[in-house]
Amino acid sequence: MVKVRKAAAVLAALATAATALAGCGGDSDSGGSGGKELRLWHYEGPDSAMGVAWNQAIKEFEATHPGVKVKFEEKGFEQIQKTAPMILNSKDAPDLMEYNKGNATAGLLSRQRLLTDLTPEVTKRGWDKLVPAGVQVTAKYDGKGVMGGDKWFGVPNYAEYVQVYYNKDLFDKHGVKVPTTFAELTAAMDQFVAKGVTPLTNAGAEYMAHQFVYQLALTRADRAWVDAYERYTGKVNFKDAAWTYGATTFADWVKKGYVAKNSVGAKAEDAGVGFISGKFPMMFSGSWWFGRVAAEAKFEWDTFVWPEAKMTLGSGGNLWVVPQGSKNKELAYDFIDITMKKGIQNALGNAGGIPVAADTAAITNPKAKKLIDNFNTLAASDGLAYYPDWPVPGFYDTWVSEVQKLMNGSASPDQVLGNIQKAYDSGLPK
Amino acid sequence: MATVSATARRPGPGGPGRYAVLLAYLVLAAVMLLPFLIVLGNAVKTPAEYSQNGPLALPEGIYLDGLRDFWERVDYGDKLLNSLLISGSVAVLAVVLSVLNAYALGIGRVKGRLWVLVLFLMANTLPQEALVYPLYFLAKQTGLYDTRISVIIVFTVVQTAFGTYLLSSVLSGFPREILEAARIDGANRWQVLWRVVVPVSRPTLSVLLVFFFIWTWNEFLIPLVFLVSNDNQTVSVALGVLQGQRLMDATMTSASAVLGVLPTVAFFLIFQRTLTRGVTVGAIK
Repeated sequence: MVKVRKAAAVLAALATAATALAGCGGDSDSGGSGGKELRLWHYEGPDSAMGVAWNQAIKEFEATHPGVKVKFEEKGFEQIQKTAPMILNSKDAPDLMEYNKGNATAGLLSRQRLLTDLTPEVTKRGWDKLVPAGVQVTAKYDGKGVMGGDKWFGVPNYAEYVQVYYNKDLFDKHGVKVPTTFAELTAAMDQFVAKGVTPLTNAGAEYMAHQFVYQLALTRADRAWVDAYERYTGKVNFKDAAWTYGATTFADWVKKGYVAKNSVGAKAEDAGVGFISGKFPMMFSGSWWFGRVAAEAKFEWDTFVWPEAKMTLGSGGNLWVVPQGSKNKELAYDFIDITMKKGIQNALGNAGGIPVAADTAAITNPKAKKLIDNFNTLAASDGLAYYPDWPVPGFYDTWVSEVQKLMNGSASPDQVLGNIQKAYDSGLPK
Repeated sequence: MATVSATARRPGPGGPGRYAVLLAYLVLAAVMLLPFLIVLGNAVKTPAEYSQNGPLALPEGIYLDGLRDFWERVDYGDKLLNSLLISGSVAVLAVVLSVLNAYALGIGRVKGRLWVLVLFLMANTLPQEALVYPLYFLAKQTGLYDTRISVIIVFTVVQTAFGTYLLSSVLSGFPREILEAARIDGANRWQVLWRVVVPVSRPTLSVLLVFFFIWTWNEFLIPLVFLVSNDNQTVSVALGVLQGQRLMDATMTSASAVLGVLPTVAFFLIFQRTLTRGVTVGAIK
């Protein structure tokens, strides 16, 4: 009894002290700082390419703006994703933040007038000349918040695209030639299957599986097809030749064993670890894996763009956005400007990211240089086809579950495409 | 009544059934502990080791940089203090409020108490997702958005709703003779509450206190929405920083999970005797 009382007393004392403290916490330092502080939020890890480059940008900003401090807060992706509309609608909005591009995110906030229209700054500071046209699409929105519009609501600092990572050691060990055409790719996969090796790592429970379907469909599609699908410029028919080819081919690949059937429940993390630990010769996934593969793979590896693809999955990266409630907009523009300059852009490239305006001659790491060169080729030939889950809200989950059915064989390609059509049509903006 | 000891229920010696029960417990304990052990194992691996050997392999050595990096990256000490402050305040305030409410409802037997209880229960079953937006606008109106005190108020109310419901039913079975004896001795209502009801039901109150503390500690959604500045954030929100858009850092996430669960385990161990005693008293009643 005595013990309990003591413990309770300790707790009570602690709590009263706590409430007293909480009272002081009421007025956090969110008030205007008269242009002496830049509140900056982003959600890139400190070791990632963007994290490294932007840390350098903070130092440069403070050096060129004496007396101004950058108050950087690292946020979780989920927190920004869930709470951005609420935060931006309050007086606690930061001065500058990283935000996810797309109709459902940056587009939605621009429509709600929570983001500053950056068009005058973009033309004044010449950012529109630095960013390739294909990358600009995700930064510009129209009055309905659909990307590809006429007003800049964000500035992309980096880009991303999907490619094939391959394990040279496994190709050599099994005597398989690295493919340069699509026919060679399937031939190589046949050889691996004959040796009892599953050629492609895959994650059925996340984005990887449906990105195969989209990439396969893209090989039979053109820019108008992509625009109709992603930007609602025309009617989309999922029973057309491209989609049908994509879905049937992928189902066929699962049957042939190019993709393991048991990967239907796997997460992207499992798929990536499978490749990095040397179990799979190839991984078809985004440039976001580049830094990790470079740091952790213990074998010889390299990358190539999907053979013979004129278009592949990719887009501008996340955006710098300036909230409407930002108290130091000028400082925010200055910061964006620094991150668009060659110095920071080159740092981003050397750290394994894809800068939008780097000097490729200054990139010293040969693999990073190849990554960036391949991207620049794609961007120059208008080859960025975005991602299949973008067009309508909740589409990601539809894609994942429908492609899982495709892998399991519980639905035919025709049924799967029919279901996707239904979700697409009902989700279209009115 | 708190002195009714557990010894009365100790099973007699002997019997082969005991070993079967022991074995079942061991298996159950192993099943429960296995996930924790895997997390602990991954927490002390290097990222490269994790990528090479997968999540289930035993760690090759003890690598504590993940723990240290996470601590420094999110200022874990500050987060710990915030969580302690919020959970501690909520636990104490909610217990006090619950006692006051339950005294009126369970012992005072005010009119329409059944409906009041139903109302409390309904408030308690509302999903937090439904509450978030109204609470957000309230907090903004009152200027409490992005303050710890807003979270304390919200959770005090949420926990009090449950506490009132539970304590009212406990107190409605409170022995009337004791109350009458106190009245005859000249105690007023206030004195009856603090000198009689609270001391007698202390074990139950302690259990409530511990539960409120742990429940509030583990809350995620409302702190995520209300605590905007990193300076105000709690442990559970800080753990979310590691969840990237496309990549996860499995070893550091495990390290953060270990750091996140340690305080509650410590808290539980300290108050474990209180808990068992409270539960026992409840059972005998």
